[in-house]
Amino acid sequence: MILGRVVGEVWATRKDARLERSKLLVVRPHGWYEPRWATEHLVAVDDLHAGVGDDVVVCLGQPARWSRGEENMPVDAAIMAVVDRIELDAGAAQASHAAPGIRRRWTPPSRWAR
Amino acid sequence: MLIGEVIGRLWASRQAEGLAGRKLLLVRPLAGAGGTTVPTSGLVVAVDGLGAGPGERVIVAHGSRVRDITVGAGVADKDVVVAIVDDLHLPPGAGAR
Repeated sequence: MILGRVVGEVWATRKDARLERSKLLVVRPHGWYEPRWATEHLVAVDDLHAGVGDDVVVCLGQPARWSRGEENMPVDAAIMAVVDRIELDAGAAQASHAAPGIRRRWTPPSRWAR
Repeated sequence: MLIGEVIGRLWASRQAEGLAGRKLLLVRPLAGAGGTTVPTSGLVVAVDGLGAGPGERVIVAHGSRVRDITVGAGVADKDVVVAIVDDLHLPPGAGAR
């Protein structure tokens, strides 16, 4: 899963029936792994009522289909948690600590406590 | 999922059995989240079962299991249109850190 921030909302009336109860949100990841496109955002399904500006945990890939627990949804990204608070160790975001593929020189959002 | 603009339809008289009878769309992913969206240079060929057309923005999901439960397991494409966008709201500054 990745951390990201909700930066937008999508409205769609014509969509797969399994998505009718859910919202689609545009999320800008705080760090990418395996980015498929030269985009800065992804679209994730949301059943937790996240809003623009919220930090969220996003599950990518096939497990995202089961974010509701029961139903098999046609999605590859799902919001799994809306973050209340994050505490980072000092230096935790330095490039040398970052996993391979994670964007270098990443600066944590200022609202994250350190 | 990615958000992209349908820039055309694709037909092929010679195609694999796994694509026979399927509607194929050319989708250009949109990039940028700071209040704007700009097209990227990449293109996706996605299967459409919702009736999307050129000029519309769509949400494309990726994966064989997504394909299985939407257009069917017998389709040889892992990119599937799952929603057609009516409106997109990207407030400027929402991604500010």
